[in-house]
Amino acid sequence: MFSVASIATMTVCIFIFGVFFSILMNINSVVRTLEEEVGVTVLFDEGLSEDRIDKIGEAIRGLDHVTEVTFTSAEEAWENYQKEYLGNNTELAEGFSDNPLANSASYTVKVDLIENQNAVVDEIRQMEGVRQVNQSSGAVNTLRSFNRMFSAVSIVVIAILLVVSVILISNTINVGISVRKDEIGIMKLIGATDAFVRAPFIVEGLVLGLIGAALPLAILYGAYNWLIGRLLSRFDLMSSMMGMLPSTQEVFYYLLPVSLVLGIGIGLTGSIITVRKHVEV
Amino acid sequence: MIDLDHVSKTYEKGLRAIDEVTLHVDEGEFVFVVGESGSGKSTLIRLLLKELDPTGGIITVNGRVLNTMKHRQIPSYRREVGVVFQDFRLLNDRNVYENVAFAQHVVEKPGRIIKKRVPETLRQVGLAEKYKSLPPQLSGGEQQRVAIARAIVNKPKILLADEPTGNLDPRNAYDIMKLLEEINNQGTTVLVVTHNRDLVNQFNKRVITMKHGVVAHDEEEGGYIEA
Repeated sequence: MFSVASIATMTVCIFIFGVFFSILMNINSVVRTLEEEVGVTVLFDEGLSEDRIDKIGEAIRGLDHVTEVTFTSAEEAWENYQKEYLGNNTELAEGFSDNPLANSASYTVKVDLIENQNAVVDEIRQMEGVRQVNQSSGAVNTLRSFNRMFSAVSIVVIAILLVVSVILISNTINVGISVRKDEIGIMKLIGATDAFVRAPFIVEGLVLGLIGAALPLAILYGAYNWLIGRLLSRFDLMSSMMGMLPSTQEVFYYLLPVSLVLGIGIGLTGSIITVRKHVEV
Repeated sequence: MIDLDHVSKTYEKGLRAIDEVTLHVDEGEFVFVVGESGSGKSTLIRLLLKELDPTGGIITVNGRVLNTMKHRQIPSYRREVGVVFQDFRLLNDRNVYENVAFAQHVVEKPGRIIKKRVPETLRQVGLAEKYKSLPPQLSGGEQQRVAIARAIVNKPKILLADEPTGNLDPRNAYDIMKLLEEINNQGTTVLVVTHNRDLVNQFNKRVITMKHGVVAHDEEEGGYIEA
């Protein structure tokens, strides 16, 4: 009875841990991808000559923290747009006779660290011939602060559940010890060592911990797989964004060992504490 | 073999169970310890098992000073001392064979030794036929034999018996005492705590009489003296 209760609590504990862990990993992965891809887009005054555009390019390359500057002509911009957002629906693109992005020749500037982006943008803005500088750090910053808050909340929730799990395991082992009190008494009188008397209870804690970790892992594996598959098939247009999400294998590469260690840790801690307290030889 | 030198035991409530007891038991001796309840007999057994520590004096058993014995040395000490109780303390969900083998498992004896030694011991106590029975299926006398088998299966140097016949009828009580005498004849030092006067008087053994925590009489080949 008690072992069912403690396995159930631990399952919930590690399940929630796994959910939080997967969400955090997903956010992190998105943040990382965005940070890599996020660039500053520099657009020029209408009708600016290629010569001037080249000069602006040189100037930007000369700035500190700039790692990469790529030129995209208006035609390329339109092609990219079609590829990215219209997919195979070529008839949609054919509706446009002219390039709707005629004034969209641009430089995409990448900066080493997102923190340095603002300084670079300020400098580019002051350059002559620059019409507009688009910056997209907002989304990244929001995600980052959300991530920080989410981590803090998860740590608190997981810590509470950890304590509850340890207490329940301890209770379970304690019941086992009371049931076998006579047997333990006899063992001690016959000359059993502490280790011999305690080992079965510690093994019990270990097994409870392992089951309590394996169960939620199995559920999480199935659930995550299903969810990712569903997202990918349902939201075709978003598939490029979904590509940022780590696969089930990637998530479990970290989640599996961490959860197992957590489960074993809870089991061992709960049983060792109890056994030390109650199995005096 | 067993030496008590001015040993006292005062419980926390201030009750003095044993008061400056000095006694000596030689190797191979058979000793009865008699006395009313509350005379300190059971405390004596518990001190000898190192379940309790004395509040004064020195206890030496088998050349080991119990007072200074470290916690981790207790198991190896207890393996030299077998013990049986009035209430048998058998594992009722395991059969006779398993109960005796349990004592060998606990001290981590190898399987081949257990297979040889357990039947041998059961023959010695006269229970070879009943090795498959569960304790509740046995008479009190038979249960005590199982307990004795368990106590001697690891060949202890000393056997302590705390009221071993307390729950038995005179016939069975006599047989159990005979069995303890046989075990003593094979070289084991035996110390029996009892208040069964008739039984003590039937065996001509050394009798230590305790009263109010002190040794009131100590006589070779004595009888039960009302202290």
